[in-house]
Amino acid sequence: MGLIQRQVEAAGIPTISIGNMADRMGHIKPPRALLVKFPRGSMLGEPGNVERQHRVILDALEALGTMTQPGTVRELPYRWKKPDPA
Amino acid sequence: MPFDLDAFKTAYDKWVAESLPDFRAHKMDEIVKKYPFVISDDVPWTPYSGKPSEQTFALVTSGGLYLKDSQPPFDTESIHGDPSFREIPRSVRQQDLRFAHAHYDHSLAEQDVNTIFPIQRFIELEKEGVIGKLTRTHYSFSYVNDVAPLISRTVPELIKRIRTAGVDVLFLVPV
Repeated sequence: MGLIQRQVEAAGIPTISIGNMADRMGHIKPPRALLVKFPRGSMLGEPGNVERQHRVILDALEALGTMTQPGTVRELPYRWKKPDPA
Repeated sequence: MPFDLDAFKTAYDKWVAESLPDFRAHKMDEIVKKYPFVISDDVPWTPYSGKPSEQTFALVTSGGLYLKDSQPPFDTESIHGDPSFREIPRSVRQQDLRFAHAHYDHSLAEQDVNTIFPIQRFIELEKEGVIGKLTRTHYSFSYVNDVAPLISRTVPELIKRIRTAGVDVLFLVPV
């Protein structure tokens, strides 16, 4: 998937990804990524947690505008089945 | 192209020969450890400009989603994986989808596909004006080890289609 992201970005379309595998990101070096502490198979948070899913997407939109270095990975603070940090 | 296809093919053929017994025994951690990540140190970059509220977005997931009534499942048996993609319309409903990917637990996405393919959330953000537009067609991939056909054929086709659709930003969820 990181290869798809790299190839699309190289073709001139900005990309952002949401993943949970820091070691995989280290190998593949996506152009822009958010790292979540959620289990594989549920990258945007718990099933049915609409508010959290929205928040992760809004974080991604914000990251598009603020990440300026190729290969930036930003870790999000949210934890599985726990309230968001204040 | 920031990917050395010839170097990959050589290392990959060796990896397949070595990893087939572990793959058949479902020792996925072992085969990943040995997998030839042939990737250059440079990172491709297209500067982002503009505002999400004026732009068109498309989604990509690698969760193995396919439309159960009209599309074939991905190949989940081969060590090479399946380099093809399925087009998923924005009008898709949870009950239209099945998952063909042998290496993760689908149960959370079966409850709510938005956990790996946040199509409903993007439709809501479009209605709220947070994003300009969610394009009509989105893309699902599955498990791929032989990335040569992915890089040389499938991704160029994906790029052609999202360009034609006027997509400004691609949002990816690797599974």
